[in-house]
Amino acid sequence: MKDKISRDQMYEIHPRIPLAHKQLEEGRITRREFVRFATLLGMSATLAVACAPADEGSGVVEDDGDMADNGVPKRGGMITIGMATDQIIDHPARLSWIEGSNVVRQVCENLTQTNPGAITVPLLLESWEANDTVDQWTLKLREGILFNDGSPFNADTVLFNFGEWLNPEVGSSMLGLLGYLDGDIGRVEKVDDLTVRLNLARPEIGVPENLFHYPSAIMKEGFGGDFIKEPIGTGPFTLEDYVPGERIVLKARSDYWGKSEDGSALPYLDGITFVDLDKDASVSALEGGEIDTFYQPRPADMAALDGADNITSNVASTSSVTVLRMRMDIEPFNDIRVYNAVKKCQDRQKILNLAWLGAGDLGADAHIAPSQPAYAPREIPELDIEGAMALMEEWSADTGNSLPLAVTLVTKNDDGEAEFAQVLKEQMDKAGFDVTLDITEAGGYWERWDEVSLGITAWTDRPLCTMLIPLAYVADAEGNPVPWNETRWVDDEFIEVFNEAAGTLDLEARRELVGKLQDIMLERAPIGIPYFKGVGSLLNSKVKNVPLSPNSYFMLHEVYMEE
Amino acid sequence: MTVATAKPKAPPGRFGRFLKTAAIIFESRVATIGLFMVLFWIVAGLISLVWTPHDPNASDFMINQGSSAQNWLGTDALGRDVFSRVMAGTQVILLKTRIPDINWFGSFTTPNFVMPGGVAIWGVLGSLTLGSVLGLNAGYRGGWWDQAISQVMDALIAFPRIVLYLVVIAALGTGDLVMVLAISITGAPGIARLARSLALDIKTRDYIRAAETRGEGKTYIMFKEILPNALGPLLVDAMLRVGYAIFTIGTLGFLGVGLPPPEPDWGSMIADSRKFMRSTLYPILAPAFAISSLVIGLNLFADGLREEITRFQK
Repeated sequence: MKDKISRDQMYEIHPRIPLAHKQLEEGRITRREFVRFATLLGMSATLAVACAPADEGSGVVEDDGDMADNGVPKRGGMITIGMATDQIIDHPARLSWIEGSNVVRQVCENLTQTNPGAITVPLLLESWEANDTVDQWTLKLREGILFNDGSPFNADTVLFNFGEWLNPEVGSSMLGLLGYLDGDIGRVEKVDDLTVRLNLARPEIGVPENLFHYPSAIMKEGFGGDFIKEPIGTGPFTLEDYVPGERIVLKARSDYWGKSEDGSALPYLDGITFVDLDKDASVSALEGGEIDTFYQPRPADMAALDGADNITSNVASTSSVTVLRMRMDIEPFNDIRVYNAVKKCQDRQKILNLAWLGAGDLGADAHIAPSQPAYAPREIPELDIEGAMALMEEWSADTGNSLPLAVTLVTKNDDGEAEFAQVLKEQMDKAGFDVTLDITEAGGYWERWDEVSLGITAWTDRPLCTMLIPLAYVADAEGNPVPWNETRWVDDEFIEVFNEAAGTLDLEARRELVGKLQDIMLERAPIGIPYFKGVGSLLNSKVKNVPLSPNSYFMLHEVYMEE
Repeated sequence: MTVATAKPKAPPGRFGRFLKTAAIIFESRVATIGLFMVLFWIVAGLISLVWTPHDPNASDFMINQGSSAQNWLGTDALGRDVFSRVMAGTQVILLKTRIPDINWFGSFTTPNFVMPGGVAIWGVLGSLTLGSVLGLNAGYRGGWWDQAISQVMDALIAFPRIVLYLVVIAALGTGDLVMVLAISITGAPGIARLARSLALDIKTRDYIRAAETRGEGKTYIMFKEILPNALGPLLVDAMLRVGYAIFTIGTLGFLGVGLPPPEPDWGSMIADSRKFMRSTLYPILAPAFAISSLVIGLNLFADGLREEITRFQK
C-alpha cells in the first residue's frame, strides 16, 4: 500500500483535495466521502485510502462490499446464473434493464468502474484529471487494449461511443445523463491517440461515475447497433450461444488484458451460463446446486434460504425504491393537502417490514437515499392519521367534496409493491380516503405507470442523486415535465438548489444543499418514500471473490470457483 | 243414519312439496355428505359476515407465524390472521358480489353496493341462462340457428379456457363483475351443448306436438314446455360448474389476475404465501384445503343428486 502524502502533494493532484482532507480530519465528512471525492478528482483509490485510514475522520469504517476470501484463486469452472434472458439486447447504449447489461458487461467494458464501496476507479482508462473548476476532464486511455476481434482500443473508439450516446437517434438514456455536454459531440475532443478531453457546459464532479452507468459499455468503432450480431468488446468473455428466454453462454478470452493484483491472467472462470429462470425456480435451483447464484433475490428468497448449507448471503444498502407517487396535474392530487395527507398515512417501519422484510433503510419522502453520497440524515416522519384527517377535512370543507374521498391506487405485484399498497390502504381508509387497489402483474403496470393518478412505481438504484433527479423531477427547456417525470411536479426552487448542488465541490456545502433538496421533497413533492431497499445476494459458497453490487451488476472477471 | 265419509287427505303445500323433493338428497349418502361439506362453508361464510376472530384485512400480528392460541391457523406474509381470512374468503365465492361504481375522477371505486350471492354463484347462473337460451334455440329451431350457434359454441369450447379467462380480464380489468362475466362466457358453451341435446330429445315428445298444434309460439314452447323438462339435468350440471368456477377463481387469483386485494380470495392467498412456504405452510394449506373441500363437496352433492334423479325417473 502507498504511504500517505502531504497536503501539497494532494494539491498537485487537485486543489480541492486538501480541503476535503482537512474536513475528514475534523470529522466533518466520512472516510468514504473523502475517498470517493478524492478518487473522482483523480487520486488513485489506493492513495486515497492510505490518506484516510479507518481510524480517522468520522470513525466510520465502511464495508467495501466484497464477498471476498483470502484463499488462493483457482482456475477453471463455469458459473451458472439464474436470470431472465428474454430482454431485447440490441444497442448496449439503449439498454434499459440491468439483466441485459449483465450479459453485455462480460463482453464489453466501461471506461470506469464503480466498486461496491462506491469508489470509482479507472477501467479502460489509465487515469483522469479534472481542472480546478471541474468543467474540463482529461481522460487518459490504457495502452495496448484489444477488442476480441483484434482491433485496438483508442481515442477514436471513445469518440465514436460518445457520438452514439449523444445521438438522439440512438435513443440512449446517456444523452440525459451527460447533459453537461449539451448533446454536442464538439465538446468531446481528441487530444492524441490515448487522450480525450471533455469540455463541459457546466461544472460536474460525477463524470467518472456517469461513465460506469450501465448503458455506457464501450463498443468497437463502427459498431452497427446489434450486439448479438457484433458481440465485440474488450471484456474478459466472448458470447458463444444466445437463445433468448432459454440460455446465454459466454466463454473466457485467453488474451484478456486485465490482470489480477498479483499479475496473473484473468479471468479465472472458463465461462458463464445464464439460465432463464424465475425467482421461485431459482431458489430451488440454487438450493439443489443446479445454479450458483441468481439475479436480485427478493427478501422472501433470502429468508427461504437463510441458514441453508453451502449458501452465502449478503445484503447491501441501495437507492432502489418503490415510490408512492401522485400526479399533481390531476384532481384530487392537484391540491397539496390531499397528497400530503396521503404521505402522512405511511407507517414506514411497518411498510418496510411487510413489503421488504425489514431489509432496507427508512426514507423521509425524498428520492435521495442514505446510500448515496451527500445524503443528509433527516428525522423519519411518524404515521400521522390525525394530521392526515385534518388536512382532508379542510380540503373537504373548502372544495365541497364529501369524505371519504374515493381513489384508486395502481401498482404491480412483483417487487413488494402489493404489500406496500395493502398496508397503505389500511391506514388511508382511516384518514378520509376510500382506497380501491388495482394491482396487476408488472407488464400491466408499466403500460400506464406514468399515466395513473395514484400509483407505486419501482425505481432502480443509481449511485448518485444527480443521476436520478434530472430524470424524474425536472422540466425540459420548454418548461414541460421531462418524459419520466411521472408526478409532473416541477418546483423552481428545487431545480435551482439542485443545479447549485451539482456545481458545488465543497462536500459540506454540497451536503447542506442536498439536505435542502430532501426538505423540499418532504414538504411539497407529491411522492412518498417509506423505505429504500436492501438488495441481497445469494451465492453458492464455492463461488469466491464476488463483488456485492448495489445495482445487481454481475462483475465476474476476478471471480473463481473453489471446486 | 249418517254415513261417515273419509275426508280426502289435503295435497301437500308448497313447503311440503319442497321437503318431499329435498328428501331425495338424504336418500343418497354421497349427496348428503356433499351437502354438509357445502353447508359447512356457507355457514362459515355467513358467520364471517358478522364475526371473525380478527379483522381479516388488518396486519396486526407478526408475519408468517405458525398456529397459536391467538392465531389458530397462523398468520400470513402481511401479519394477517389466516383463519379469519379463510372464513372471509367464502363470502366472495358464495355469498356476496361487489358492484363497483364510477367515481368523479373517472375510475372504479370501492364497491358501494353488494349483491347477495357470490361470484361463483352469479357466474354459473349467468352461464346457465346464456347457455340455456342458446342451446334451446339451437336444439328446437334447428337449421341455420343450430349451425350458427353450434359452430360458435364449439369454437369457444375448443379455445383453451384459461386463455379465454385472461382475454376477458385483459379487456375488462379485474373485479367481481368481470369475474362473473368471465365465468358466464366460458361456462355458457358447455351448458348450451347440454341444453341443445336435451331440446333435440324433448322436441320429439307428444306434448310438444300438442303445443304446436295448439298454435303456441316457438318461444313459448322452448321456455314453457321444453325448459321445465330439461331443468333437472341442467341444474345438476350447473352444480358441478359451481365447483369449476371456484377452481377458476382460485386459479386466476393464483395467477395474480383474480379478485382485487385486500379482500381475502383463496387463490390469491396461496399465491401470496407460496414465496414463504419454506417458513410456514399454514397460509397455503388452509386456503388450499378450503378450495378442495368446497369443490369436492359440490361434486359429491351434484353426483348424488344426479344418481337419485336418474333412479327416480326410472
